[in-house]
Amino acid sequence: MILTPGIIARLAVLGALTVIAQVVCFSKMDVFGSDPDVLLLVVFSVGVLGGSLTGAVFGFSVGLLLDCLLLETLGAFALTLLTVGYVAGRYRETVGRPTRGAVPLLGAALTFLGALVIAAIQIGTGVDANVSFLVVRDAVVTSLIGAALAIPVLLGVRLVVRSALVDERGGARRSTDMRGGSARSRPFGDGPVEAP
Amino acid sequence: MYRKQVRRRRAVLLLLVAASLTLLSLYYRENNAGPLHGAEQVVSTVFSPIQNVADRALKPVRDLVNWFHETFDARGDKARLEDQVATLRNQLARQQTQQAEAKELAALNELTSGGIVPDGTNPVTARVVGRSPTVWYSTVTIDKGSGDGVRIDDPVVAAQGLAGKVTQTTPNTSQVTLITDSESAVTARVTPGGATGVVEPNVGNPNDLQLDYLERGSHIAQGQMVVTAGFSTGNLGSIFPPGIPIGKITRASLEEQQAYQRVHLSPFADLRDMDFVKVLTTHTGGGKK
Repeated sequence: MILTPGIIARLAVLGALTVIAQVVCFSKMDVFGSDPDVLLLVVFSVGVLGGSLTGAVFGFSVGLLLDCLLLETLGAFALTLLTVGYVAGRYRETVGRPTRGAVPLLGAALTFLGALVIAAIQIGTGVDANVSFLVVRDAVVTSLIGAALAIPVLLGVRLVVRSALVDERGGARRSTDMRGGSARSRPFGDGPVEAP
Repeated sequence: MYRKQVRRRRAVLLLLVAASLTLLSLYYRENNAGPLHGAEQVVSTVFSPIQNVADRALKPVRDLVNWFHETFDARGDKARLEDQVATLRNQLARQQTQQAEAKELAALNELTSGGIVPDGTNPVTARVVGRSPTVWYSTVTIDKGSGDGVRIDDPVVAAQGLAGKVTQTTPNTSQVTLITDSESAVTARVTPGGATGVVEPNVGNPNDLQLDYLERGSHIAQGQMVVTAGFSTGNLGSIFPPGIPIGKITRASLEEQQAYQRVHLSPFADLRDMDFVKVLTTHTGGGKK
């Protein structure tokens, strides 16, 4: 991803709007006893499209804003989303662009990772009450919702930062054709190049 | 070139992780008047008007998703509710007879105790505008703050019963820590019977609370109601007025009572789906009109 001032501004607006939507809307939804963590999926998408550094900085920033809006422990969501953004970016840098089949799996895995990090922070800072087994159920349900929403969210984020993406569509098509891969195994292509 | 990029990436990552851990550590050490809490409140105040507008604008989307879920749930509830209707019809006949007596008793009770809301309390109605996306923080954000007379530790009630207490305030918003939060503990009394204990949450399960530290020898049965005890000893007093309904006993095995001095209850208030709450403020003056 080529980070121009315009793209940074777009990412900032995307982050702020998603944090607000997460707090006022998605967190108040009831889907099979849990709620969708769209903010985490947006961080995952930015990490996958922009790399580990962009993912980590974006995750840290939106996490800090979320901590402030919820008046919660400053740094808790920042550390969680920073981890998610970094891991998503490292996946892209080491394994390559995820295929359509891998995106839901990655979305679920990173949503679960987010739940583990926030649980670790909570347990690390001390929990005075009993912890129900339903915490695990909640993490699993949120991860499944994450798997279902990963592709639409990634496509949405890709649309926002499209002009900053390096064009790898040709190379991707060539490599797919050589492998004879189906649409399910085709990687997500990036958009056209824009001069920085 | 590649090595330089890797070094840069690692440096930024280390910096961000260090910043997060430093913030976590400093936030825990400082009190509510500290600079980090102050900065957080400034950001929250700046964003609160946007949050209010977004909350109203996105309500149809939220309601649509919740409608699907509730419809799904309602199909399973139908048979159970039909049985309940039959039982309740019988109870209604009995209760109508008792109502006349209760009315007289209520009037008498109001004269002696002043009802659930103590004298001098000024209830402030607030809209729930935000919720934490994780089960670890059972908190909600409401659209009334210190400018409306809301103060830290003010009790908060929902339509059906006790919801929690105010733990942070900004001029326009407040954070309410619910009774299902891991840090919550409320002294409570079982009625009828009068056995007292402390209501504590079961993190991750918002429909299950525990009444711990029960007096030995108190026998509690399923279906009994739990209300706030509102203890006060000398200058020390519970922040919750006595008599606010908390929940209904759902599990009260004799073994658990004897071994752990504990029973289970489910809260009356639907803490996952509240739109409005009342903050029982005790401070008058200085608020917005």
